[in-house]
Amino acid sequence: MKTKNTLQTRREFLRTSMLGAAATWTLPVFLEKTFFALDAIAANAVTQTATGKDGTILVVLQLAGGNDGLNTVVPYADDAYHRARPRLALPDEQILTIDHHVGLNPKLAGLKSLYEEGHLAIVQGVGYPNPNRSHFRSTEIWQTASDADRNETHGWLGRYFDNCCSGADPTIGVAIGEEMPQAFAAKNSTGITFSRPEQFRWRASASNTGHMSTEEIFFRQLNGFDEENTPAATDGASIGTLPGTSKSDLSTLDFLQRTALDAQLSSDKILAIARKYKSTIPYPQGQLAASLNIIARMIAGGLTTRVYYASHGGFDTHAGQFNTHGRLMTELNDTIAAFVADLKQQGNFERVLLITFSEFGRRVAENANGGTDHGTAAPMFVLGGRVKPGLFGKHPSLTELDDGDLKFNTDFRSVYGTVLDSWLNTPSQIVLGRKFPSLAIL
Amino acid sequence: MNMLAQLPASLWNDETAAHLLNRARFGATPAEIDSARKKGLVAMVRELVDVRADAGNVPPPAWAKPRNIRAARMALKAAKERGENFRETARQFRVMEGDEILDLRRWWLERMMNSPAPLLEKMTLFWHGHFATSVQKVKDGYWMWLQNDTLRRNALGNFATLVKAISRDPAMMIYLDLQQNREAHPNENWARELMELFTVGIGNYSEDDIRAAARAFTGYRIDMTTQQFRFARMEQDLGTKKFMGHTGPLNGDNVIDILVRQPACSRFISRKLWRFFVEDEPSQEIVDAIASRIRAHNFEMRPVLREIFSSAEFYSDRAMGTQIKSPLQYIVQTSKLLETQLPSPIVVQNAMRQMGQILFAPPNVKGWDGGKDWITTSTLLFRYNFANYLISGDAMLPAGQAARAKPQDAGLRQSVQRRQLAEQIKRDPIDVSKFVPDPLRDKPHQLVDLLSGRFFRTRLAEKETNTFVQFLESRKPDTSDATMRELVHLMMSTPKFQLA
Repeated sequence: MKTKNTLQTRREFLRTSMLGAAATWTLPVFLEKTFFALDAIAANAVTQTATGKDGTILVVLQLAGGNDGLNTVVPYADDAYHRARPRLALPDEQILTIDHHVGLNPKLAGLKSLYEEGHLAIVQGVGYPNPNRSHFRSTEIWQTASDADRNETHGWLGRYFDNCCSGADPTIGVAIGEEMPQAFAAKNSTGITFSRPEQFRWRASASNTGHMSTEEIFFRQLNGFDEENTPAATDGASIGTLPGTSKSDLSTLDFLQRTALDAQLSSDKILAIARKYKSTIPYPQGQLAASLNIIARMIAGGLTTRVYYASHGGFDTHAGQFNTHGRLMTELNDTIAAFVADLKQQGNFERVLLITFSEFGRRVAENANGGTDHGTAAPMFVLGGRVKPGLFGKHPSLTELDDGDLKFNTDFRSVYGTVLDSWLNTPSQIVLGRKFPSLAIL
Repeated sequence: MNMLAQLPASLWNDETAAHLLNRARFGATPAEIDSARKKGLVAMVRELVDVRADAGNVPPPAWAKPRNIRAARMALKAAKERGENFRETARQFRVMEGDEILDLRRWWLERMMNSPAPLLEKMTLFWHGHFATSVQKVKDGYWMWLQNDTLRRNALGNFATLVKAISRDPAMMIYLDLQQNREAHPNENWARELMELFTVGIGNYSEDDIRAAARAFTGYRIDMTTQQFRFARMEQDLGTKKFMGHTGPLNGDNVIDILVRQPACSRFISRKLWRFFVEDEPSQEIVDAIASRIRAHNFEMRPVLREIFSSAEFYSDRAMGTQIKSPLQYIVQTSKLLETQLPSPIVVQNAMRQMGQILFAPPNVKGWDGGKDWITTSTLLFRYNFANYLISGDAMLPAGQAARAKPQDAGLRQSVQRRQLAEQIKRDPIDVSKFVPDPLRDKPHQLVDLLSGRFFRTRLAEKETNTFVQFLESRKPDTSDATMRELVHLMMSTPKFQLA
């Protein structure tokens, strides 16, 4: 039988000794008078992991549908590329050349600049053994970092949260969108999801005037903001937990109450930041830009998030790819350019690492409908203020294929592993189940 | 110690009656609880359990008929090879699939709400999670209906019969690649999951057992012209196999019989049943006790369930009011308690997605673990806001984002979809007079007591009760319907409302 860890009441908290100078947070006004009491060891562990405020930040950008890697990082010098794609091959003179073999899609001028500045690493030929060409299954494989023949429920980021950040604020992981990505699924589930910050809140029945309606005051009382017999309110870094207690060890009711309080505090923080921080850098139109814009504002506002996740769809270009993919590349390029400019202006560019991935690339040969079908290996972009730039991995051969598909050279878990070890400061072996060869990208 | 002694009659009251109806059904109104209490434990359990598999007699959805899939696919392929724009046809197929599954979800939810045999629906849901199969791989509404029908027919019957039926279920065969299992290249996916997830559980079989079982299940095919199971006798591996200490020319049914006879199987099913109906962390004693009854009843579910629902253990303090409502339970039970209709299918589908339990699309082969997994900051906030929608019809978000269907296609179609969506999202506020007696509207304490009894299964703290009363007092003299609805919304926006 597990012991139930009851949460301390606010009074007990105030009675115990307070931690000395912890990191200062942006506190919602009504919480200014509270303190959080942790013993020093726990505080260290917690601030180490939960302090997205000054620590490193990872942004994972999913290109959903299977982005055509060959028209993104283009092996323009390879005759086989032109032979296989009479209609879709991009003209040589438009390619933004990187070296004698590959170059970037003509719409990726912003990425090309980043590359020249030394802030972009391109990892070629990324995939995994026994590739699966089903959207759902392959996405699941990338999200869980499992071998293709195994079924893992928890995500790689979820396992990271479980291992490093138990007891941390649920805003440790923030996914922009309607559903929690499987990458965040964890034993001690954490992380929050929203499409727009204004929407991540409890909505009173009465029409929302923007002020705290009276109904909302009662709501807060019912969800943990009470003097007696409720979990102590804190600023949110570690809400009333005893060191080392994970939420899953709490009794069911305590767990619910703790989550309710977390929800309230996260919601308040996010709303406060969203109101206060607007970007001055112009972003393009579209959902992708909107997502990254929200992330940039949360970073500016000091939300203590370690991992942000955003997803953009539309990459499943089975037909009429030429124009569609061009539009997607433009959108990707312009959005990333704006995001980077925003971070630089904030002075946060050095703290952020952004990686892109797609569940698979596409076949070498174009199909009869001016498009391409599901494939396998594809490149990943890794960019940020502290990236070690360059071309990494080997470009897969366009002639020695696996049933018409590229053979991968770099296992995607090498990229994950490098990010975990060198950026998130966590032993990748524990999160991924084994050690993968690291890359010199960080 | 006899763990499964019947609950003494003296302990049968409104609370235990409510507990039974919450767990064996999808909740109940005070009137139904009162009626159950009057019937008594034994009669009530029999009423719930002793139902026929075809109780309710609901016909399948009109579209749920087998098609000649082979012909359809060949036509598509031919069109593709001719370079025709087959994509429009393919897209229409996908839209149709989407519409069918949406309608199938509506169909099943209505049964959960309205069936005269709600335990049958709840057990079907239990088995759906157990024999997890997702339309995302199966890609056909008829097959998903067919599996649901097979589960329901066997839900309260014999477990071994159920497993054998599922081994011949086309949706399951596709999901676990059983129809690709060939003597020359045995596919072990089905064999492994049969053992790991459906019968004995991990660690109770060897890799050799898996290989032997894969051989035993050769010959299982789907006839793509009729969408039905067919047995390809020529493709069956009739050789001798060694499986779990048995040797012989074993076939699939033999393997299932052997598996079900393993004590590990009775414990595996016992634990799952207890977790689904009673508590997240069953003790080893109760698991063993139920397992023993499962074996004694030869894996017939009805007598086992009768014993579970009659036992004192089922009504222990640990069990009552401590289970986090699954999303399905939440949707159906809340609608019942508000004495209102289910929302439109597209809204419910979106709600299932946001709460993490989509019918016919479990996240993977392991189904839904349940318990605390249902609750994150996001899902909790969603439940609170969704309650608001159920009560007031407030769509939560501008432009109908509360029920955004994934756009099938950009452009013109989208504006049509948006209009249709807006229609489907519209919902009238509930009629509070159905459960708020007029004389009590200006008596806060009594009103709060009455409504607490309806909406909560856990005792409220004095603080909580006082907060509800204070809310009402802050509104005086306004005792309008709107105020009543706000009170109900407040009650549902609490941690305790998540418990059944």
